[in-house]
Amino acid sequence: MMLTGAFSIWKRDMLVLRRSLFSELVAVVASPLTFYLAFGFGLRGYIADVEGVPYTVFMAPGLITMTAVTAAFDESAWSMWFHRKVQRTIEAYRVTPITVYDIVIGKIISGFTQGALKGVAVAAAIFLLTGVRFNPAHLAGYLSFIVLGSMVFSCAGTVCGTLLDKPETIGKVQAVVIMPLIFLSGVFFPVSSYPEALRSAVMVIPTTALFEGSRRALLAGALDGGLIAILAATALVAFAATVAIFNRKMAE
Amino acid sequence: MAALSLHGLTKRYGSLTAVDSFSLEVARGTIFALLGPNGAGKTTIIRILTTLLRPDAGTAHVEGFDVRQQGQEVRRLIGVVPQDNNLDRYLTARENLVMQARLHGMGQAETGRRVDELLELVGLSGRRNDFPDTFSGGMQRRLVVARALVHRPRVLFLDEPTTGLDPQSRRAVWEYIESLKDSMTIFLTTHYMDEADTLCDRIVIMDHGKALVDGSAAQLKERMAHAHRYELQFRANADRYEAILAGFSFVRSLQRTGDLFRLSLAGEEYLKPLMDAIGTDDIRKVCLREPTLEDVFIELTGREVRE
Repeated sequence: MMLTGAFSIWKRDMLVLRRSLFSELVAVVASPLTFYLAFGFGLRGYIADVEGVPYTVFMAPGLITMTAVTAAFDESAWSMWFHRKVQRTIEAYRVTPITVYDIVIGKIISGFTQGALKGVAVAAAIFLLTGVRFNPAHLAGYLSFIVLGSMVFSCAGTVCGTLLDKPETIGKVQAVVIMPLIFLSGVFFPVSSYPEALRSAVMVIPTTALFEGSRRALLAGALDGGLIAILAATALVAFAATVAIFNRKMAE
Repeated sequence: MAALSLHGLTKRYGSLTAVDSFSLEVARGTIFALLGPNGAGKTTIIRILTTLLRPDAGTAHVEGFDVRQQGQEVRRLIGVVPQDNNLDRYLTARENLVMQARLHGMGQAETGRRVDELLELVGLSGRRNDFPDTFSGGMQRRLVVARALVHRPRVLFLDEPTTGLDPQSRRAVWEYIESLKDSMTIFLTTHYMDEADTLCDRIVIMDHGKALVDGSAAQLKERMAHAHRYELQFRANADRYEAILAGFSFVRSLQRTGDLFRLSLAGEEYLKPLMDAIGTDDIRKVCLREPTLEDVFIELTGREVRE
């Protein structure tokens, strides 16, 4: 029976996603593709190569990663909030033999899956619509960053959906915490742009480890153990904290 | 063994004691109703018994399992119909039931059979592939009842199961509840006195977290037999008669609706002096009023409107 409940909840979320897969993917691809076209092509004449590669190639991994982790955050936060406050299905789950751990783990994995799927969709769109190509041998290393990053953001979303009762507060967290964290962590510019004194501090921020590490993995095939370790430790702590926070909230 | 056993159950929210040393035993196979005004503590008790809430003190057992220590065993045995229709609006009617079966660890073949049987029972088999948002309130309620029955629970909790339903849907839900009577213990809360009167073997009225009275509908109404309640209707001069009736010390309560008066007397012997005083010229109707469960409820919990 262990984690049967989590699997059932994940299966339910995937069934619902499948029903609206096309519109979801179109919606999720639109925004990063706009960034890609606006910055990559619109500013092409003004931006020289970055770290030895054309800007369009430099920003592609960050955009894919950004899509994956924001999708993981959004899905987890809104889904948890909706099931808890609007539909109240969390309460329906809680009067069945499954445990609160099943519920929170099921929701985290759903968010993570959605993030990974949407990241792949954006990657496919960029590959199909532009000339950007990567070495397939670099994909495994890149995916390990995506997996850990989606897990961290899925946990963060689940915590927001668990603790925040007003939807506008979730929107504020996205605007004030999530977006700055992503944008300042090297999606559009290299960490080397930061002043020397700040750089080492910026590198230990998990989102920098995510964006910088995933870019290095995809473009150069370099798997930075230190960055993976920062991200893995963050994912582990985030997972344990999310499960504990959800458990505590449900006991109120 | 009792299906439900509560001893000294207490739950506080800050300075408010929602359930105050509440004790109760409910025998297996009973249809039991917990009545009380808003905020009396009914839903808190259901939430404790269904393991959604932990009591601050006391014990509660469902089919012998402790709700605090053996929550998972308790949840295997219970079905819950909450106040809100907390259906999954992104799943069809059938998928809602299948999801419930999965969460109870039921096998695929058994799930298919049981789900189809229940959809038939609640009259929704023709709408099995439709989403709950397209259903009326009554249909959604029937689906919630069906969902609570998927795993064949031994105790069914219904928290105000017919609130907001039209009379036809209410009666449909009553019929399902009555049809389940022999196979499980049913614990319901309701604001509708006729519902408790029609369905339940045993009723407890509670207020401020405590039980006030316990018995069958007939036993509770019997408590009011001493109340000597009458109805008087006048053809004319109702205002003059109101002043006369209000002046009698033996008239314990008086309510007026147009030219109809409902009153209770201090004793049967006061009926004659009353009739002598008002005469028969303007009287259209005079009759003894049988006490209803609502009379008992109002007598015990007062007329004050609760928030």
